[in-house]
Amino acid sequence: MNISRTWLQKYFTAELPDTYVIADALTFHAAEVEDIKEDTFDVKVLPDRAAYMLSHQGVAREVASVLNLPLKADALNAPLRAYPNTDKIRISIEDTDACSRYMCALVEGVTVSASPSWLKEALESVGQRSINNVVDATNYVMLAMGQPLHAYDANKLEVNGGVYELEVRDAREGEKITVLTGEEYLLPEGTLLIADGNSKLPLGIAGIKGGNVARVDETTTTLLLEAANFEGTRVRRSASALKLFTDASLRFQNRPSPTLVAYGMRDAIDCILMVAGGTLAGVTDNYTKEPDTEAVSVSLSRINSILGSEFTLSEVRSVFEKLECPYSEVEDVFTILPPGVRRDIRIPEDIAEEVGRLLGYDRIPSQGLPLQTTSPNQARFLGVERVKDFLVERGFSEVSTQTFANEGDIVLANPLQADRPWLRASLLGNLETALLRGAAVAPRFLGPEKALRLFEIGNAFTSDGEFLLLAIGVRGIEGNASSEIIKEIVATLEQDVFGEPAHARYSLDGLLVELNLSRLNMEKVGDEYTPVASALTDYRPFSLYPYALRDVAVWTPEGTMETEVANLIVGAAGELLVRIDLFDTFQKEGRVSYAFRLVFESKERTLTENDLGPSMEQITANLTQQKGYEVR
Amino acid sequence: MDSGRLHPLSVNIREIAAIFGRMGFDVATGPELEDEWHNFDALNIPSDHPARDMQDTLWVDTEEGKVMRTHTSPVQIRYIEEKIASGVLPPYRIIVPGKVFRNEATDQTHEAQFYQNEGLVVGEGISLAHLKGTLDRFFNEYLGEGARVRFRPSYFAFTEPSVEIDVWFPAGDNGRGKWLEVMGGGMVHPSVLRNAGIDPEIYQAFAFGGGIERLIMVKHGVPDIRLFHSGDLRFSYGFDIA
Repeated sequence: MNISRTWLQKYFTAELPDTYVIADALTFHAAEVEDIKEDTFDVKVLPDRAAYMLSHQGVAREVASVLNLPLKADALNAPLRAYPNTDKIRISIEDTDACSRYMCALVEGVTVSASPSWLKEALESVGQRSINNVVDATNYVMLAMGQPLHAYDANKLEVNGGVYELEVRDAREGEKITVLTGEEYLLPEGTLLIADGNSKLPLGIAGIKGGNVARVDETTTTLLLEAANFEGTRVRRSASALKLFTDASLRFQNRPSPTLVAYGMRDAIDCILMVAGGTLAGVTDNYTKEPDTEAVSVSLSRINSILGSEFTLSEVRSVFEKLECPYSEVEDVFTILPPGVRRDIRIPEDIAEEVGRLLGYDRIPSQGLPLQTTSPNQARFLGVERVKDFLVERGFSEVSTQTFANEGDIVLANPLQADRPWLRASLLGNLETALLRGAAVAPRFLGPEKALRLFEIGNAFTSDGEFLLLAIGVRGIEGNASSEIIKEIVATLEQDVFGEPAHARYSLDGLLVELNLSRLNMEKVGDEYTPVASALTDYRPFSLYPYALRDVAVWTPEGTMETEVANLIVGAAGELLVRIDLFDTFQKEGRVSYAFRLVFESKERTLTENDLGPSMEQITANLTQQKGYEVR
Repeated sequence: MDSGRLHPLSVNIREIAAIFGRMGFDVATGPELEDEWHNFDALNIPSDHPARDMQDTLWVDTEEGKVMRTHTSPVQIRYIEEKIASGVLPPYRIIVPGKVFRNEATDQTHEAQFYQNEGLVVGEGISLAHLKGTLDRFFNEYLGEGARVRFRPSYFAFTEPSVEIDVWFPAGDNGRGKWLEVMGGGMVHPSVLRNAGIDPEIYQAFAFGGGIERLIMVKHGVPDIRLFHSGDLRFSYGFDIA
């Protein structure tokens, strides 16, 4: 929620500190603050605190607690006024579970016009648009104290015997509403409406947005002012179905206390009379369910045991005083009565959280776990790692691929990609793709290797259940690979690692195989195994451009070392050479022949003969210069 | 023939498991296709909670009430249930490295499938201070000397108190140290312990969880999370083995 420091200042007598100081105080003690500007900042109010904190008043209370600054006056502690009842408004609520409280005021003789500058500026400072003095007053009060409000133009309702009738009811099938911003919505089943009981027309989507029928504009003189409590899940589901998330729906879905309704009504009446004139004719309050506030008890030792802290009785007392929670104390047991708006304090752990965050998590020591006599059981995990080590040692590289596939047994109800709605039932499809793509780039990474070897270990899902599978595959880089590689690796795995047959399932060409590790005793495989530990360097992104291969073969005098020749080549090739491998060597008539495969690559472009030609010429020249060297 | 390459996730998860192993943690696993009870209800996430809506969770059509697990936390419940069923009471210490799924659009820093590492410690007198101590030690070994954690207030349905966990990445060869948000955690909510079959009057527990790819990205300078599960050989060869 956007918070203005200037607005916040209204709750304090003392000058507030710099915005960054406030932001830090909130981040480390209440809720993360982002997007800090000179006068405003965005508080990421946590879901369990949203019932009281989505307001300047709520944030001010937190600032007061954390920075030890007294609040000027707490609007929620000031006594409520008794208002005259009115028989001109009749409210009917179809389902009191959906609307536990509905308060409505009749205000007559208002003048709707532009808002005074203080009000305009306050709204604009937090990114809201000013509409007119009445609408602005309702928005202002919501942003100030958290209760959503709505004003209807009473003269746009039908009157029956001098009585306005408001219904809180479910939308009828096919019912539509045009909202204040002009869009028309077809209301899905289960949408809660406010409707004119006389004309039956919908006036607003409860807790989400007002309708156009009773919009407040320059002609408005009489208001029906609504302050109500709508059930959070209902509001959230409707907002979600309509894709219409508003400041009001955001607040209702976090279940503010219905006690807040009366405070919101009081502040809204005061604000409207101040900025739009008029008189209050009367108020009606349909309050069906008072929430129970239950006392919570917790001992100091329990608090310290949860937090691992050594807070004192007087420190914990100071927390309850900051929270303005009435509490009693018997020996070291506190019993506190959470304030009505604090719906997040219900169990001792909730109190421990209040104590921890307000006294500061930085005061919680860092404590090692007690020594444990039994050794940890990681056998199954280590068994899987042993299989990986076995394969890596034999030239296989591990890949990880997507769980979602274009075929399988189990299908997602809401797939991310329409063409991959299935859960993979096998790893082989993805491995085959990885091999195909891998073989195309393998010379860059593997040098003059004849076959690419890959494996993946991951979960697959069939109608028989979920299994941990191992897929192994091979693909020729130059020419065809032999299925013997796969047969041999499976045989060795069974013999040396699993110690039992693995019931391998081969592809038709024998170049891919899949083993079900869930059916093998991986605990036994991993017992006492220590996996190879390696450390990785920083990541070097690969080039997005194709590499180019060149071969160089050279006769050298007997006794010439491979590295001497390689160094000559590297020295002459320039920076585009990224890899060099010896792929052939033999001796004949007192000379040694070396054949190297060179890999060239640029990070910026596709290489052409213009790049490679000069490099190769330079290499040839460099080698030929050497005594007894002859490039073949 | 040269050796092949392990996937960087394997390299890192091994290191993580080894460090936690030295602190006495088991490695536990659980299914990726999970039931609603373990993924949500048992973890104190009620049926009307926004996290259970279609826009966050991938639901399975062919099996009623099954979801792609949205976190590794259901393994907390499964592990405890299994231990209780076989008559083994706490203390427990586990980590759960595993794949999780979210119904979200992918970009450089978001993937619909990624790995999380979950931690759970259950015992008498286990506290938030133990969580701090455990993670301080873990990050000190994993990221190097000087790494440490700090807590900020947070909210998770299955922990109370809940904290956001920032870690101080010590200055590397190139650049200054920095705080980064890497995990969520807290004291396991008493209802969750009760749901799993543990008496919260006797035992207390802490839990934590965070993305593994994200840690690797910061530790090794990987620019795009989508590389991890692309099946692309070039990714594993983008690292040298020191």
